[in-house]
Amino acid sequence: MAIAPGMALPQRRLFLLPTRFGVGWAVLVLLLLLLGINYQNSLAYALSFWLFAVASVALLRTWRNLLGVRATLRLPAETFAGDEVRLGVVLEGGRPRHAIEVHVANGHTTKGRSREQSAPGGSATLDLATGRGETTLRLPACSRGEQRMPLLRLESAWPLGLVRAVAWLASDETLLVYPRPLGEEINEHRQAGPGLEAGDFAGLRRAVPGDSPARLAWKQWSRTGVLTAKVFSTPPRQQLWLDYDGCRGDLETRLSTLCARVLTHHQAGDHFGLRLPGVTLAQGEGASQRRQALAALARFRSGSNPGGTP
Amino acid sequence: MSRRAAGAVVLADGHTLSASMLRRLFVGQCLVLALHLTYMPVWLGGLGALVAGYRYLQLRRRLPRAGVVLRLVGVAALAGGLWLHYGTLGRMEAMIGLLLGVYLLKLLETHSRRDARVVVLIGMVATTVAFLHSQGIAMAAVALLAVAWLIYSLVWLAGAANARQAWHESAWLLGLAAPLMVLLFLGFPRFGPLWNLPQADRAATGLTDEIAPGDIADLSRSDRRAFRARFEGDEPAPGERYWRVYTLSEFDGERWRRTSPSRFATALKQGESPWVAEGGRSPWSSVTAPRFEAELLLEPDRRPWRPSLGTPQVSGERLRWLADGTVEGLTPLASRGLLHLSSSGMAPSWLEPQGMHRHTRLPAEGNPRSRELAQRLWQQAGGEPRAFLAALMSRFGEAPFRYTLSPPRLTSRDRVDEFLFESHAGYCTHYASAMAVLARSVGLPARIVAGFLGGERHPDGHFTVRDYDAHAWVEVWLDGSWRRLDPTAAIAPERIEQGAAAVEGAGDAYLADAPFSPLRLRGVGWVNRLRLDWERLEYRWQRGVIGYRDEARSAVVARVVERLQALWNALQDQFSSRAPLTWLMSLVLTGVGLCGLLVGLRAAWRRHREGRDEALRIRRLQAWLTRRGMPPHGGESPAAHLRRLAGSAEAAGPALRDCAHQFERLRYARLGPDERRSRRQTLGRRVAEVKRHLASQERPG
Repeated sequence: MAIAPGMALPQRRLFLLPTRFGVGWAVLVLLLLLLGINYQNSLAYALSFWLFAVASVALLRTWRNLLGVRATLRLPAETFAGDEVRLGVVLEGGRPRHAIEVHVANGHTTKGRSREQSAPGGSATLDLATGRGETTLRLPACSRGEQRMPLLRLESAWPLGLVRAVAWLASDETLLVYPRPLGEEINEHRQAGPGLEAGDFAGLRRAVPGDSPARLAWKQWSRTGVLTAKVFSTPPRQQLWLDYDGCRGDLETRLSTLCARVLTHHQAGDHFGLRLPGVTLAQGEGASQRRQALAALARFRSGSNPGGTP
Repeated sequence: MSRRAAGAVVLADGHTLSASMLRRLFVGQCLVLALHLTYMPVWLGGLGALVAGYRYLQLRRRLPRAGVVLRLVGVAALAGGLWLHYGTLGRMEAMIGLLLGVYLLKLLETHSRRDARVVVLIGMVATTVAFLHSQGIAMAAVALLAVAWLIYSLVWLAGAANARQAWHESAWLLGLAAPLMVLLFLGFPRFGPLWNLPQADRAATGLTDEIAPGDIADLSRSDRRAFRARFEGDEPAPGERYWRVYTLSEFDGERWRRTSPSRFATALKQGESPWVAEGGRSPWSSVTAPRFEAELLLEPDRRPWRPSLGTPQVSGERLRWLADGTVEGLTPLASRGLLHLSSSGMAPSWLEPQGMHRHTRLPAEGNPRSRELAQRLWQQAGGEPRAFLAALMSRFGEAPFRYTLSPPRLTSRDRVDEFLFESHAGYCTHYASAMAVLARSVGLPARIVAGFLGGERHPDGHFTVRDYDAHAWVEVWLDGSWRRLDPTAAIAPERIEQGAAAVEGAGDAYLADAPFSPLRLRGVGWVNRLRLDWERLEYRWQRGVIGYRDEARSAVVARVVERLQALWNALQDQFSSRAPLTWLMSLVLTGVGLCGLLVGLRAAWRRHREGRDEALRIRRLQAWLTRRGMPPHGGESPAAHLRRLAGSAEAAGPALRDCAHQFERLRYARLGPDERRSRRQTLGRRVAEVKRHLASQERPG
């Protein structure tokens, strides 16, 4: 039923459903035809035929509006549980297309009604005036771990709203949701941790163009006539291990705490390693270390180590 | 961008219609109302304005929505107004008024997209209902505008981003639908009415079935069209264009009355059958073969009269044939209708079933001088009816009598006496009435015929007969048949030959009620030409489009089938002479040729597009490479893709690199048109080179 991202929407995956307005239109055409017949009125005949013809053309144009659209998903770089996932949807049509709606297809909601009831972030309307368009859906990220992309529904009732062309888009990509960082301990840690204040005066060096005026040693200049800049020592990097067993609370709380610590230590430029029951990440630093640590936290399951604390 | 596009129709909450959308709906309402304007009470327009004003204030001042009470009050006021205006709600005009009023009031409770669509649907119905008033060209043109606007609002509702887009889409929809509409219109079978619906009541103008001297002059004040006619075969000469409508046989000394079959039936307490028969042809004896075959395009009228040139004989549809040699429709015409009628061009040649005495009856007393005159003339003529009638006619042609459309009023009880011996001035009714009275006083059966004389002949051959062509003349029973006798011909022969406008002294009364009629400008050449052109167009429209009924449809379908048959026969003739093999060969060759042509055209079109769009060319190259197992990586730009491949492709490497370079130049550099063209050509050559090299690489490997 559904198509994969990056695939041009084929004819067999595109469904046309009449809307309630479409049914109303059919009744209208019949009514006008009856008027034409009963009053022997040629113009009423003509108008009813025209409206019928307009509906047929609109049917084709609705179908053509969605046919061949290529949808790709743009996953957010990182997502923490409890945040919202900002899922980018890029539609490419090759030619101008209009009023294409993208919805998160919830299992229980049905078409039509769902549009008005679902969360405002869960759907968007796109106009591919240049053949390409992009929008962002906001989905809730409930829990940590690998999250499958939801089934998306592409819809278009352009140009008259008589029929609705519908196609489903299923992506097998998964989004790794990191644990929700728990912040209160971090502040404690920050205040307690020694040497985290960057700013110990370490000496002077010759100023070079581009130095911040705030860092220039103006007093020295007035005294010696040589423009120098103050140098501050970077704080000593901590070499530390973030340990699962060193945290309190249940599994998720501990992971959240660890997540917050990873973020803080990365920000501080620390050299850190991560120990989880059954998983050990060697000490390291930088963006890749952060990513690996967060991924390990996101993927961690208590089941992976039967001896681990619950 | 997407949010804003939706914002043009609905407000930010996604449900409530924006003010601009309401404005569009209101413009649609104005257009639909304009269709009805001249036929419906004017205060409906005021109602529309009130509703729109309320919505405007509501949106501006953020007033609450119209509550149930206000809406009910609106509907009640509407129904009350219509009731006061028409006296009932059962008449068709009142129902149309109700529909229009509901359409206008609906704007009060139009808040969501769905409401707006309902408003548009009602608008479509209201537009169609306007065709019950009139189906003229102007109506059709305004209706076209209204429908286009309604479709345009629907496109907005479906989420158009701007007006240009919405118009563009509406034009496509309407344009693409038009051919299908024409096919359906031509081919769809036409049925008779499935059930009876209330018909619009029309004020009767034109001929009445009662004549007193003075009546027909009222008609000459109006230029309303009575009917139009086209002849198949012979056209009548100007002196033969006597259109019979009614015969009037009862004279009470003042007025001439028609005795309709129903009046006979009630008077004699028996059925109508002796005086009227339904059917497709006249049941009354008619010796002569039909002389004129006319196709009449009749204007709607409350009475079922049908004019015929002389005695009606055969028609395409069922009619009521009356014993006095006239014909009626089964129902009054609610809208213009076409009628085929062939007729003899002469007065009928049979006697009515109830005998002749009806046509010699006069009031017991009154008009003594006229009776005396008739007796004197009868004696002078020696009891010879022809000589008597000739004497009458020549008397009317003589000095004291004059023809005028504004004669002095006749006030006495003996009006015929007053006319014949005192005023001497009058027009057709006076003369016909006097003539019939004189003939009856000597026992000659005579009656008055009311109808039309003449009509304007258009360059394309059709005749327009208007109210001012109304005329009255006399039929006298002579030698076993009715003879037409027109005293007006004696006094004003130019009335017969050239029509009512030509009569001298007619001036004041002619067209007195139509001060702006274009007919007043007959003398101005170009105005007259324009008027004739417009009338011809109108006639064709009425005849071709409005009169398109089942016969016309069958004829069109038959013609199409005939053409196809002829084509098929021609093809068969072409091929039957040759051997089947040649036939097959030529067919296959034609097919191959056509396919080749199509493929060639397609390739040319592709090349043409690629030549103008380097992005397309590069995309196609990338697709070609992907098919050969060299797809771009995710997020890789086209140029990066080509450059990466260039590293591994031996012979194609430089060409690939140049492709990437040219593409980047074309994309990002500011180039003059000449350079752009030359670079595009280079790019095309390079792409071809890449494909050649890579294909040849592939083949040996």
